Amino acid sequence: MSGSEPTGQPGSSGSVTEQSVRTALDSVLDPELDRSIVELEYIEEITIERAPSGSETNVRMAFLLPTAWCSPAFAWMMATDAKSAIESISGVDSAEIVLRDHMHETEINTGVNEGRPFGEAFPDADGGLEAVRATLDHKARLARQYDAVEALLDAGLSPAQIVALTPADLDRDTDDDRIHIYLGDRSFGVSVDADPIEEYLEMATAEGCLTGETDPLFRMPDGDPIDESMFELLRRRTRSAKVNVNSQGTVCDALNESRREMIEGTGSR
Amino acid sequence: MFTYEGEDIFVIDGHIHMWDASDENIKTEGGQQFIDCFYDYHTGFTPEDRQWTFEEYQQYGADRLTDDFFGNGVVDMGIFQPTHLQEFYHDGFNTFDDLGAMVDRYPERFIVNGRFDPRDGEAGLEELERQKEERDILGAKVYTAEWKGDSKGWRLDSDDSFEFLQKCADLGIKNIHAHKGPTIRPLNKDAFDVGDVDLAASSFPELNFIVEHVGLPRLDDFCWIAAQEPNVYGGLAVAAPMAVNRPRKFGEIMGELLYWLGEDRLLFGSDYALWNPDWLVETFLEAELTDEQQAEYGVDFGLETKKKILGENAAELYDIDIEQKKRDLEVDAISEEYDLAPMYSDTTGGAVADD
Repeated sequence: MSGSEPTGQPGSSGSVTEQSVRTALDSVLDPELDRSIVELEYIEEITIERAPSGSETNVRMAFLLPTAWCSPAFAWMMATDAKSAIESISGVDSAEIVLRDHMHETEINTGVNEGRPFGEAFPDADGGLEAVRATLDHKARLARQYDAVEALLDAGLSPAQIVALTPADLDRDTDDDRIHIYLGDRSFGVSVDADPIEEYLEMATAEGCLTGETDPLFRMPDGDPIDESMFELLRRRTRSAKVNVNSQGTVCDALNESRREMIEGTGSR
Repeated sequence: MFTYEGEDIFVIDGHIHMWDASDENIKTEGGQQFIDCFYDYHTGFTPEDRQWTFEEYQQYGADRLTDDFFGNGVVDMGIFQPTHLQEFYHDGFNTFDDLGAMVDRYPERFIVNGRFDPRDGEAGLEELERQKEERDILGAKVYTAEWKGDSKGWRLDSDDSFEFLQKCADLGIKNIHAHKGPTIRPLNKDAFDVGDVDLAASSFPELNFIVEHVGLPRLDDFCWIAAQEPNVYGGLAVAAPMAVNRPRKFGEIMGELLYWLGEDRLLFGSDYALWNPDWLVETFLEAELTDEQQAEYGVDFGLETKKKILGENAAELYDIDIEQKKRDLEVDAISEEYDLAPMYSDTTGGAVADD
């Protein structure tokens, strides 16, 4: 995404392609699986419509979830996140989201495209989605923390060194996608793949548990700093969060595959 | 009875159904979507050559069920877990009374659990008494996310629920099977959140709480609660079939469960007819942890552990003396129909793995 051109500038829509829409959608996650909806292959169709005058560009994105029963709350989050992601592309004026074959597709499609709040689209819901999103972000943070900590253990850091790390200790090298960490009087340093650390930072920031550049990087489930004596137990708890999200991903992948075979008519239903 | 590596394996399938999702019985679109979704679970985790057609799957009946369970002698007993869903199906999906008829027919082979919903109030308590009186039930299935009128579900740790759990304790209905599966409804909450099991389990130490589907997709929360509450068990329905084509993921799940709960608090379940024990039991027996998983978790998933999960743990919860039971099964109608008596009469005379 360039992000530099003013949105809706006449003539700029020529740069909007299916690929640029997909790239924007990379950042939209299935909140339960903590994976991109692009990677999960939920997206069925992307249509870019330009008004004859060339002054308006509308993007229509249709997606299908692994079951008609997928949580309407999660479906809503993906639909609204996708709408904002597409509308943030330079040259796109508006996005229309179409959730297909879902038990609540009408409520979701109407509500999301009209920009209404969840509680209005579903009057019988007991409120908004903030709490659900916070819970899912929290679980994703724990799972990502597991990966980040494993990477640091593999690189040779000790539990005591890991619990004492702060964001300020991370030295990002943009040339080789690695993060360097120097300890003590900089006499000892390690280098790790940047991805797991950055993915952790992103979710920890979303959850709001990073308090400052020189405060502890990793946290207990409740957000407190980690006492070294708790390190191993915490590692196991975060491991179970990781296994959970992986397992559910496996279930959804299989359901997704079966459902698509049925819908495409290659199955036996 | 199955013989595997020279050992008799007594199998109690802890989670089975006999449902009717025939076109005639489907009442609403929800009923159609429900069985469609089940079928996707079936095809997603069943070897291709063992998949059923959708028509077979909609309604299979008693004879098909007994063929699947006892035709190759792999299963010894099954525990029915009712799922009423009266909103979706005219005569219900898988009801206590219909399942009870199967127990009447094959009393040594099947156990039927009751069910309750605290929102039924006084009438619900009376219904629980009826279920106990008619069939001396030892367990009950509960479905906390079921909608009822304006209610979008209920919690096991609510006052109303505690009244029913107390009733269960008084009546000796000691095994509470809580369905904790994928999030569906109510809309803006996690209806199958496992957090409510915690207080219920610590408040009723005389009851056992079997969390079906091991709480997936809340395996982490489930394990953490179960590690602290000794009367919380995990039912492996949905998790077990991952052994088919996702063995690595299955190994991770088993590693977590054995690490946090140990080998005495896990129950095998096929979720029949979601999956069929006629192949699933053997798949489960053959599953192994990788060396890496073995090192990471430090747990034992050998034959003795598998025997506990496949039958011994359920026997403990349902007061079944396995040795006595073998003698009873040897002479029952199923053994006669499927010529199974020999495998109960002598030790290690069971069905042999066809590998």
